[in-house]
Amino acid sequence: MNSLDPRITRLGLPDAPPPPPDKLALDQFETYEAFHQKKEGTAYAYVGPVHAPSADVAFLFAKEQYSRRFACTGMWVVPTTSVHLSPYADDNASVYDELPAAEQTGNASTAEQQEEALYTAGDEDYDIFHLKKRGKAHVHVGRVRATSPAAALQVAKAVFGDQRPVVNVWVVRSADVLRSDDEDRDIWLTTPEKKYRDAMAYRVQDKIERFKQEQKNAPQV
Amino acid sequence: MSAANSDALKDLLYRLADDQLILGHRNSEWNGLGPILEEDIAFSSMAQDKLGHSLQLYLLLQGLGEAEPDTVAFTRNAPQFHCAQLVELPIGEYDFSLIRHFLFDTAELLRFELLSQSSYEPLAQVARKLKGELKYHVLHANTWIKQLGSSTEEAIDRLQGSLNFAMPYALGLFEKTGYEEALIAEGIFVGEDELKAGWIEKITVILAQTSLELPDLTTLTPVYGGRAGQHTEHLQPLLDEMAEVFRVDPTAEW
Repeated sequence: MNSLDPRITRLGLPDAPPPPPDKLALDQFETYEAFHQKKEGTAYAYVGPVHAPSADVAFLFAKEQYSRRFACTGMWVVPTTSVHLSPYADDNASVYDELPAAEQTGNASTAEQQEEALYTAGDEDYDIFHLKKRGKAHVHVGRVRATSPAAALQVAKAVFGDQRPVVNVWVVRSADVLRSDDEDRDIWLTTPEKKYRDAMAYRVQDKIERFKQEQKNAPQV
Repeated sequence: MSAANSDALKDLLYRLADDQLILGHRNSEWNGLGPILEEDIAFSSMAQDKLGHSLQLYLLLQGLGEAEPDTVAFTRNAPQFHCAQLVELPIGEYDFSLIRHFLFDTAELLRFELLSQSSYEPLAQVARKLKGELKYHVLHANTWIKQLGSSTEEAIDRLQGSLNFAMPYALGLFEKTGYEEALIAEGIFVGEDELKAGWIEKITVILAQTSLELPDLTTLTPVYGGRAGQHTEHLQPLLDEMAEVFRVDPTAEW
């Protein structure tokens, strides 16, 4: 195949490529959801999905998609299948109001004792994300311990239930989250002098106008 | 700084900058042709980082009295380039580009970590600034090598073939020049031997986590010459293509 792009010509492709082979119905990668930390000390917020063959690769892709143009200081990725969704509530309402009250765990009186009781029960950590408004992003509000995502939502109601509005809650088992390493923080420090990456940096309109003007003023041949 | 040191420094900077420029340009050839969309974006993005790195280094050279970066990048011919031959080889298939990326960036990250301690402060500053990006480039390379290097038979065979082919060229990254002793003596750079030892350690650790085997380095003859301007037949066509637009009107303002 001959192309104006020398790279394509170099590939030596046939003029009419053979039809692609039949593929299995489900040969796509899994999807992963990415969260980033915009600034040191702020909560992680949802930025969008990527598809990838593994969490490690999803992390690379998430970094490319969601931290190149808008710098961040940390990133998490989670398999989409690990994100458990609560029902949706109306704007200005709270999802938690529609859940039955959380049961007390044992006779523990302080939060600390309660937490300790949960740890001894062999529970797991769950990360809780709130959506404040439809169309915005889910934001990390904290972590709870529970035996299942449904139970985690109940615990979250006890801990974060007074926040509102909460239109929707995501519950993610903490062990399913791949998190950027603290010692690798410098990978987020990309060089700031990268205006050349943005179309905005190429201010050509003035030059085009000037060129057009010159053309107009030029004597007709 | 004495005149002799200045020559040694320029020699080092040209080697560093030319490696980045040429591999950056080579890897940019994957733009739009990458195996999957996200990887295409990632690889192109890192290629652009490399061009940015070369610019920082050419600016240091300009500070030492060399011509401005565009002139240096676009008007020299192959014999005036100091890049290792590894970086000028065609992109080949993705297995080769990935192996080269792995071998080169592992060395480059170590090199810049070492240079961040350089006695030549402007270079140390640039090295500290670029380290983060290089760390990410290595993370990218390691992730794919580990992923593909222990996946299907075809992937493993391809990567092993590319590894065997690339290794003598990769050893050429550590070619010494006549300024080696001066650079070490002045504390500008710790030297190619120390770098190479660290590099072998790093790539061994990653390859051990895959089904790939590191070729026996004692039986290989490193491909030298690049640092002295001896290049493969692939470099000049690359330079012609890279500078094609620039040479239409070298005085144009972009």
